[in-house]
Amino acid sequence: MKELLIPFLTGLGAGVLSAWGVGGGTILLLCMTLLLGVDQRQAQAVNLLFFLPAAGAGLLFHRKKGEIDGLLWRQTALAGTAAALAAAAAAQFLDVSLLRRPFGVYLLLAGLSMLRKLLKKTPPDRGKPPEK
Amino acid sequence: MKTRWGVTAAAVLAGAVNGLFGGGGGMVLLPLLQRGGGLGDRRLFATSLAIIFPMCLVSGAVYLLQGGVSLRDAMPYLLGGLAGGAIGGLTFSRVPVTWLKAVFALFLLYGGVRYLL
Repeated sequence: MKELLIPFLTGLGAGVLSAWGVGGGTILLLCMTLLLGVDQRQAQAVNLLFFLPAAGAGLLFHRKKGEIDGLLWRQTALAGTAAALAAAAAAQFLDVSLLRRPFGVYLLLAGLSMLRKLLKKTPPDRGKPPEK
Repeated sequence: MKTRWGVTAAAVLAGAVNGLFGGGGGMVLLPLLQRGGGLGDRRLFATSLAIIFPMCLVSGAVYLLQGGVSLRDAMPYLLGGLAGGAIGGLTFSRVPVTWLKAVFALFLLYGGVRYLL
């Protein structure tokens, strides 16, 4: 029971945070690998599958409201998906430990840029012209 | 990232990250597209989602076909995610998320250090 309950609760927490716009697509992955000790590749697979139902439902909603920009989508989706396909295939053959460092760098960059954005949103002194 | 090739390059980068690391494409794509301006936040977010979705679909299929994970292993996470998504959607407007985002950013930094060491 425990081996089902903990994954369920982890998914629940990540689902709530994602719906609030906090998770940013890696929260489940990180919880799985850092807190639960799940194998990296398996965690990546679950993370990808996890995204699909929620995002699919969200997309139907956005599409109905006409919020998806057709031009931007056509300029990006095909090339991006091809890159994703190639990268996912590469990830199957690469030694997972090789991915640890680049992923760590990516996490640091993502965390820093998120903090920077949060700090920007609350400017300390308003009268000052923005620095270049 | 206003130009035609700028947005395409951003999407390729996001796709590569997403496929290689099993997620996080949106965290690459959204800020890059934001730089170009032009679209409002809501529209940009919705369009990003529409760009990321097929990336996750094909990557997820590759991971599944390669047998790294079974649907059975993934199921408790997915069911939890569905319940969590519903709860999160219902409580969305009542939560101050700024400090949660700060906590998440710190968690990312912690994760980065853990992965690098």
